[in-house]
Amino acid sequence: MRRLLARVRSWEFVRQLRRNRMAVFGLAIVLIFLLAALFAPYLSPHDPLQRSLRQALDGPSWESPFGRDELGRDILSRVLHGARISLTIGLVSVGIGALAGVPVGAVSGYFGGAVDLLVQRLVDIMLAFPGILLAIIVVSTLGVGLTNAMIAVGIGTIPTYVRLVRGSVLSIKEYDYISAARAVGAGDLRIIFRHVLPNSMGPIVVQSTLQFAVAILWAAGLGFLGLGAQRPTPEWGAMLANSRMYIRVGAHATIFPGVAILLSVLGFNLFGDGLRDALDPRLRGRM
Amino acid sequence: MVWYFFRRLFLVIPTLVGVSIAVFAMVRLIPGDPALAMAGPHATPDYVQQIRLRLSLDEPLHVQYDRFMSGLLQGDLGRSTRTQRPVTAELWDKFPHTVELTLASLLIATAFGLPAGIISAAKRYSIFDNLSMLIALLGVSMPVFWLGLMLMLLFSVTLGWLPSVGRGSLLHLILPALTLGASSMAFVARITRSSMLEVLRQDYVVTARAKGLRERRVIYEHALKNALIPVVTVMGLQLGILLGGAVLTETVFAWPGVGRLMVDSIQARDYPVVQGAVLLLAVSFVLVNLLVDMTYALLDPRIKYN
Amino acid sequence: MRVRLLVGLLLCAALASVGALAAEPQYGGRLVIAIGVEPESLDPIGMSSAPAATVSEHISQPLIYLDVDGTLQPSLAVDWEASEDGRVWTLHLREGVTFHDGTPFNAEAVKMNLDRFLDPASGAPFRFLIARVTEVEVAGEYTVKLYTDEPFAPMLAHLSHSFIAMVSPEQLRALEPGDAITHPIGTGPFKLERWNRGEQVILTANEDYWGDRPYLDEVVFKFVPEDSARVVMLETGEADAIMRVPPLDVPRLDAHADVEVVHATSVRVIYIGFNNLREPFTDVRVRQALNYAIDKQEIVDVILGGAGEPSTAPIVPAVFGYYEAGPYEYNPEKAQELLAEAGYPDGFSATLYHPTGRYMMDATIAETVQSYLMDIGIDAELITMEWAAYLAHLQEPPETADYDMYMLGWGTVTLDADYGLYALLHSSQWPPAGWAVGFYKNAAVDAALDLARVTPPLDVRQALYETAVKGIWHDAPWLYLHDEVQINGVREGVHGLIHHPLENISAWEAWIDR
Repeated sequence: MRRLLARVRSWEFVRQLRRNRMAVFGLAIVLIFLLAALFAPYLSPHDPLQRSLRQALDGPSWESPFGRDELGRDILSRVLHGARISLTIGLVSVGIGALAGVPVGAVSGYFGGAVDLLVQRLVDIMLAFPGILLAIIVVSTLGVGLTNAMIAVGIGTIPTYVRLVRGSVLSIKEYDYISAARAVGAGDLRIIFRHVLPNSMGPIVVQSTLQFAVAILWAAGLGFLGLGAQRPTPEWGAMLANSRMYIRVGAHATIFPGVAILLSVLGFNLFGDGLRDALDPRLRGRM
Repeated sequence: MVWYFFRRLFLVIPTLVGVSIAVFAMVRLIPGDPALAMAGPHATPDYVQQIRLRLSLDEPLHVQYDRFMSGLLQGDLGRSTRTQRPVTAELWDKFPHTVELTLASLLIATAFGLPAGIISAAKRYSIFDNLSMLIALLGVSMPVFWLGLMLMLLFSVTLGWLPSVGRGSLLHLILPALTLGASSMAFVARITRSSMLEVLRQDYVVTARAKGLRERRVIYEHALKNALIPVVTVMGLQLGILLGGAVLTETVFAWPGVGRLMVDSIQARDYPVVQGAVLLLAVSFVLVNLLVDMTYALLDPRIKYN
Repeated sequence: MRVRLLVGLLLCAALASVGALAAEPQYGGRLVIAIGVEPESLDPIGMSSAPAATVSEHISQPLIYLDVDGTLQPSLAVDWEASEDGRVWTLHLREGVTFHDGTPFNAEAVKMNLDRFLDPASGAPFRFLIARVTEVEVAGEYTVKLYTDEPFAPMLAHLSHSFIAMVSPEQLRALEPGDAITHPIGTGPFKLERWNRGEQVILTANEDYWGDRPYLDEVVFKFVPEDSARVVMLETGEADAIMRVPPLDVPRLDAHADVEVVHATSVRVIYIGFNNLREPFTDVRVRQALNYAIDKQEIVDVILGGAGEPSTAPIVPAVFGYYEAGPYEYNPEKAQELLAEAGYPDGFSATLYHPTGRYMMDATIAETVQSYLMDIGIDAELITMEWAAYLAHLQEPPETADYDMYMLGWGTVTLDADYGLYALLHSSQWPPAGWAVGFYKNAAVDAALDLARVTPPLDVRQALYETAVKGIWHDAPWLYLHDEVQINGVREGVHGLIHHPLENISAWEAWIDR
């Protein structure tokens, strides 16, 4: 019976999602970037690392639709490979954030009391470092580089998950079926993992989609500051850090990597918003 | 109400202590000898030893923290390894510039975001609504450093209207403030719009309409006042977020603020300054949020104080 | 008194004043010069780069001035002579000079300054300049005698070095031990008004200057690491002059009505040093292989827009003691053969440290080198550091030096090979003693350099330097890149700026007509 209901709900969910044109648009962007990332080596017209000094900063042409960068490397190929890096960053960071944040949030919300108080204060402390600052601190302690940047961004997303899951657990905890499960003697862990978490999956999925956007943005920011991916890695933010020196003589080198960041972030944001509306009709029409 | 204020104040204390512990731990987690890191590469062995004693690295952690805190409370954050000046002096030089940029950004965000949100809500689904919400959507997804570069490309490089980098005349402030304020502007517009729409659905507005009041009066006299409360909160919170976002904007525009100082110092391995800058930004953020919360409590009598 | 050097080559390094020369100089005004990096220090015992020298020279002066033609000119010292055996130098000082704080300048002041510079405990990175001096004697109110352990041929040239600058004895006395001077009080044409860290240095005219009062009331040096930002500042008039115009912008600026591009010679070589003590750079074949792997001409042509020449020696042709030993041709096959012989057929990984915004296109050149090295299987990890921290990082002793390769430039600002070769390649100058950052050691080269410093006859010195250069070239302790050319930009209406081959830009004769 529950399964059937879930199925109907999933139909309703898909229908809702399809009705939201913006969300479909977002999903399309996300899929395009996903394909670009998966097939970057096959789609790229050139080797993203191949230097060709005589073509340095050449503008867009048939041969290189996005033009060439300061070492004459093909920007389209670099942007395509950059999609690979950015999506990996998103995946790893969101993975770290969710794997650490979800259980902690669930435990905090489920048990309440001293545990909850402690966790909440810890989250407060993490949230005291606004935005990208937390990631910058982690990177400046661990050292610069792509791997550390992913860890840093991942850590930066933990508090969001903790808050979210805690809130959702708090509301589910009071439902009858949880009391019922407890009454038949189910252990706390079992209740959390079998009953509580599956029912918070919706918000977690929505949040993960939105956090993907945040992760891409922050990692690009770290790359731009020289604290993330290092040269010659074709990471979008790092590409901007280099090409901005040539903004007057070869603006194309600054434009395309930025467009890639903007579009991918926009895609995840639109899709995430759409998912939220579809999964939680109560929120429709709100932020 | 008073009880709420106390409670809120009380909750800030563990946060601030936590921030200080995080900053304290930062230096001790850097690979290598913390004394060397704090003394800087130029330092003589004597000075490194002096730092080692000051940090009391040979003592148990809680003693070290104790020293750190007492130094902190006396405004002593050590000396910059790069300039040899006290960290507090470095920060004091730069912080006003960051505040200036942040406030200017908030001003721009409000000046454009608020009217856009109000008009969008009043003329829902109009071209203006769709357009400004599209722009707002882009604003939220925009990498701030890239936006800065594009504005620079347009207004400085191509048109030559505005200076590109540094701090000087009021003109210097425009591009960085616009850049930093863009995402807040988008956020304010979206919040204002949804808050207005919410209010417009409320009974008293419906009543006002039913009484035959003109739409203009309904919107601007009745709805706006109530819709603004959450907007004010969001703006306050944005101020804190802007403080953090300033890091990237200041780097793009060579704006001599705390954010750029921090990034430069990371590149220069000037850990005392990095520590100080992190601390300053975090504490300002916490305090701004505290103020906003209290203001909100004063503004909105409906708030629950538990 | 004239240094017999290859002056002719430098003459073209124009005392470039832009615009009409006919107009009368005008007093007043404020000149803004945007330079790439901030001085790491303005303390004589803390300075180690041309940007520091550029700013410092306006405030605190050395005893002798090396002018744009390569001639040593009287400054705080008006006359000098060496003893018969070449071991004692007598300097006659200018009378009636006061420091900015009113303290009189005299022999006592010189002694205090030189003693401080020479004190090993103070750790002056350029102590080697006059390290041969065993005693500084006050021989009269305005006479100083310098005693050396050996005849020291390049003494006068070294005394002209901007870092051996005179600051007020009062200031030195007030200094706490271990403290650095952050606000130097000198005798120069400008006083230090304010130093906003990370932003700018503001200088104001010294009304009591011993020479002619400068025309300008105020000179501001702004620190703008981003090349593009400096160019835009020049175009918009935010800056009146900028140093190091990126070559790609030259055509644009040439077309700009209000801007003049000034090409000036430089005495600087740019190179990537190897840490000769770390595997695999201990093997000469590896070091040579890397030299063959880079197309220097391509870098000069494309990235520097033709501004420069591939290096043919560790010093530029204008320097006394130069010998044309190179360049290493671009030959990746040969590079790979050499690597294979050395036991690295598949290459290896190494770190490459480099500054950014310090030398022309430095970061781009580093990335280009990385790319060339990739061709022969070498994976170079680029590590960018802020200038002052970078310099400090390169002052680690051999045991703790953690870099494999490092990009540096060196201007032989004394125009004498001793300063270029001894300081960088003599094994006695390994950090922390000096700037032989690559820990290169070749006994024959050491011997030739030692002998050349204490042998006055110029033809003998020339022969010795030839031997040294040949040895150094073969051993390839560096990856030789190119000899730099300066490209500066100046706004219309700014006159009398000195674009010095030492890569200084000086404003004490500058004036603005507007």
